[in-house]
Amino acid sequence: MPAVRGPRSTVERLDKPSSYASSKRRRFNRDDEERGRERSPSFEDKLKEATTLYVGNLSFYTTEEQIHELFSKCGEIKRLVMGLDRFQKTPCGFCFVEYYNHQDALDCMKYIGGTKLDERVVRTDLDEGFAEGRQYGRGKSGGQVRDEYRQEYDPGRGGFGRALADDYGEERDYR
Amino acid sequence: MAEGGRNRGGNSRKRDRRHDDDGEPERHGHQQKRRREESTSSKIRRMMLNIAASDKLPQDEAQDIARLLGESLDDEAAMTEFFDTLVQLIIEQPFRIPHVAAVAFFANDDKPEITAQAVKRVGTKTQEMLRTGQWTEFKLLLRFLACLQSLYNDDGVFTLLNQLFDTIVDLQSANENDVVGLELVKIILLTIPYAVASAGSTSHGKASELLEKTGIVAANRLPIESLVELYVADSTEKPFPYYSAIGMLQTQLEREAELGWKFACIPRFARYIPRKLGDAEPMEFASQLHAFPSFAVPSPVNPGTKLLFPEAYFSLYADTPDFETVPKTTDIAASLLRDAIVDTINQLDFNRDAAARTLVELDNFWALPTFAPRGTPPDKLEEIAPRVPGWTEGQTLWKSEDMIIDAIFSQLLKLPGPEHKLVYYHALITESCKIAPAAIAPSLGRAIRFVYGGIDILDLELVHRFCDWFSHHLSNFEFRWRWQEWTENLEHSPLHPKKAFIIAALDKEIRLSFAKRIRTTVPKEYHPLIPAAMDEDKSPDFKYENPQTPFSPEGVALLHQIRKKAPDSEIQETIDKIHKQALEQGIVDVLVPSTDAFVTAICRLGSKSLSHVLSCIERGKERLMSIANTSETARRQVVASVVEYWKDQPGIAVNIIDKLINYQILQPSTVIEWALVDHLGAGDPLTKDWVFELVYNTIAKVTSRTRQIVTARLQKGLPQEQIKLVDDELTKDRERSRELFKLIADSISGVAEGSADGLIEKETSGELTAEEGQFIREWAKRWHMVFVRKAQVEESVVGEEAVDARIRLLALEPELEPEPEAMVEGNGVAEDVANVDEEML
Repeated sequence: MPAVRGPRSTVERLDKPSSYASSKRRRFNRDDEERGRERSPSFEDKLKEATTLYVGNLSFYTTEEQIHELFSKCGEIKRLVMGLDRFQKTPCGFCFVEYYNHQDALDCMKYIGGTKLDERVVRTDLDEGFAEGRQYGRGKSGGQVRDEYRQEYDPGRGGFGRALADDYGEERDYR
Repeated sequence: MAEGGRNRGGNSRKRDRRHDDDGEPERHGHQQKRRREESTSSKIRRMMLNIAASDKLPQDEAQDIARLLGESLDDEAAMTEFFDTLVQLIIEQPFRIPHVAAVAFFANDDKPEITAQAVKRVGTKTQEMLRTGQWTEFKLLLRFLACLQSLYNDDGVFTLLNQLFDTIVDLQSANENDVVGLELVKIILLTIPYAVASAGSTSHGKASELLEKTGIVAANRLPIESLVELYVADSTEKPFPYYSAIGMLQTQLEREAELGWKFACIPRFARYIPRKLGDAEPMEFASQLHAFPSFAVPSPVNPGTKLLFPEAYFSLYADTPDFETVPKTTDIAASLLRDAIVDTINQLDFNRDAAARTLVELDNFWALPTFAPRGTPPDKLEEIAPRVPGWTEGQTLWKSEDMIIDAIFSQLLKLPGPEHKLVYYHALITESCKIAPAAIAPSLGRAIRFVYGGIDILDLELVHRFCDWFSHHLSNFEFRWRWQEWTENLEHSPLHPKKAFIIAALDKEIRLSFAKRIRTTVPKEYHPLIPAAMDEDKSPDFKYENPQTPFSPEGVALLHQIRKKAPDSEIQETIDKIHKQALEQGIVDVLVPSTDAFVTAICRLGSKSLSHVLSCIERGKERLMSIANTSETARRQVVASVVEYWKDQPGIAVNIIDKLINYQILQPSTVIEWALVDHLGAGDPLTKDWVFELVYNTIAKVTSRTRQIVTARLQKGLPQEQIKLVDDELTKDRERSRELFKLIADSISGVAEGSADGLIEKETSGELTAEEGQFIREWAKRWHMVFVRKAQVEESVVGEEAVDARIRLLALEPELEPEPEAMVEGNGVAEDVANVDEEML
């Protein structure tokens, strides 16, 4: 069942973009308007055919093979891009998974998002598509922003936050 | 398994789910405030969505909603919301159909126009589903109409059911393997109980008449039915016998007729009937009756887009000698409950959490009491029953957790395949375990033991599915399983189906995790199955580093050259050296040793990760392509080298080979020839799950491409010149996949019949014992069955006959307006086919 705009479901659908993705859209659109540019194809339109997923909360030690093993249960994977520490070029706990089909990406949201990989609950979000540069963490020390100020000890993600003092506010960890 | 944690069980209706997890007292205040401001339309929606799940009796809730509707007739938004929610609930949450029908039923007393409107709205939607062949939705909407059978002034749903039966007769006489007719019989048989439960004795005659008519069709065994059997057909001791779902349904209904048409599990909604004081007879109370909408059954019937096959009824727990935790197969409740649970599962796939919660609350939606309190262990069911309110002497109360797991497994193990991707059913089990771990986990444990117990005669595709689920499930629950239960099976030969399963399951666990971790989760007897070499965080050895390996210096040189991106001429020099020596040694195809060295070097260089190996393959792509185009044996050597390099982690090899097919370096036929000819030996590779996976995935790639072409062909308004293009493509592809299926069947049947040279050789030399030889023959038989089925299933989708029938249907559909947009779409089709070409083969 594709996520077309039909009658309202009796329970929420799990194959919709997250609030983060939507807030990002608003931000982009506002920027465009301010600059008086013609609007690029709207975010919703891009996600209507999205075949890429952002996958978060991975352990730094989770390998491409493990990700492939799990995510290929939803369909053939076209490309897998590991998120890397900007400086060390080592995995920093997220990745992009690109399928051939839009439906596979939606199914992945429904069936894999929120389940465990390598004994961690992974988070998936529909993504407009990978672009060079997005594989790098945007935190000050090279990893993801969330790992800069994390107060809990997380052995799968490099222990304590690397820059507890830095406050990035609500900003999230990928572009 | 998942144990401990929070248990939401308990059978009490005095629960309010909304406040279950809520520790903040303030929120109640907020909610009350919110409720005061709530519009009527959102109030109606909320009440509808929560029916049978709150702290009230469903009967009262239905009456409350009916009353509120009666007061809101002028509120257009509220009425729209009610009808929209009604239709959506029927389709998405089948458990609630009797309850929302009760709303319409109660509304009839004061405001029959609401009931009339509900029947009309649902009727229109029902007709639409009938026209488009959306059978599940059709069945569910029809069920709503059947629940109001007592309110029609004519034959009600029986009129439509009889119309459907006439259609079935036509369909069946036209085709002995007709499946649409079977689907319609199923719908008729599953509608009758709800109509009878509503109308009572006035409907018994009509139900019996219909049942007499369906008898012949339901009892008939179709030739294609053997395709959906779970266990090897000629095995004597099947853990569960084969039942045709509709054959069983017919027998159950005939039995229920003899017992007086009770349908005890269906919830009833009685109207309050005023009585005169001191008078035993109720007052005459005339309901406003309605005409049942008239329906047109399209001719020819639209089979719909979902693949239809005869259905088997399978249960993990039914008819066991020890405890009756689920209805016996003779009991109509078995079919009624299963049908509603399976529909709930499949209709709610877009929110597995909601699906799991609905399942866990199964007991809320059926007549009281149908089930024992949640979490009651099997051996306590009988003891606890008399303490459950409403229980009558002799009644068995079933275990809701067993019913849930039974239904999910019926989908996981459904042939040829369930409605959604298998991983959905994995996720649903995981979710159910998270919601009610203490109640669900023991049922799941018994399910695993049951399937494992019969794994040697279970269909091989299902073994593969079960293994995939089992390892995936454990990966969500710290890999906890009582492996010591199976320790004694480790003594078997690796060719034994149980030992082979254990090996496969551990391999799959390791793929999702890593060897060292998995070793800590199993008893030490299992440790030899997880070699220490797998722990080291290093790449598998590069065989050319060993000077004993033929062409060792050249292999090492190639590794260097590829690593430093040496010019092609340099690489060619090294390869020529190999060719020269090979020629001197009398090797027939000199490309074989050079390919081995080249591919092994690529594997070694790319051993760090999938992306690494992909970029190495891309670098060597031209050379690999030219090898593949030059020599048949060298082509297969590519496969052999990848498998050899990754022999301890065959999952990685399977993956790399898959990508090599995508790059069109390998043809699907090459992979299958390697696996089932070159590598077949005495047939022992047939016992390995990864070999099955390799062949299975390769075939899946081929068939999915052919299906895509069929989809492209069946687009409405395809221009004539493109039809020709697509048709040609389809003919070529169809032939190619038929050849592949034939290749598989031919290679395997030799082993199955015991006539394969490799097998005879090893048996006569004593290398294989008689028992082992027998194991191999059994494996081969099971392989054969899987791929013969797959071939037949594909024929029913992409075969000439199937496609022609679809094309004829397409021509009958009303013509679309020739909009400019439609043209654009039409153009896209050829492009799609072209893309498929690039990506797939």
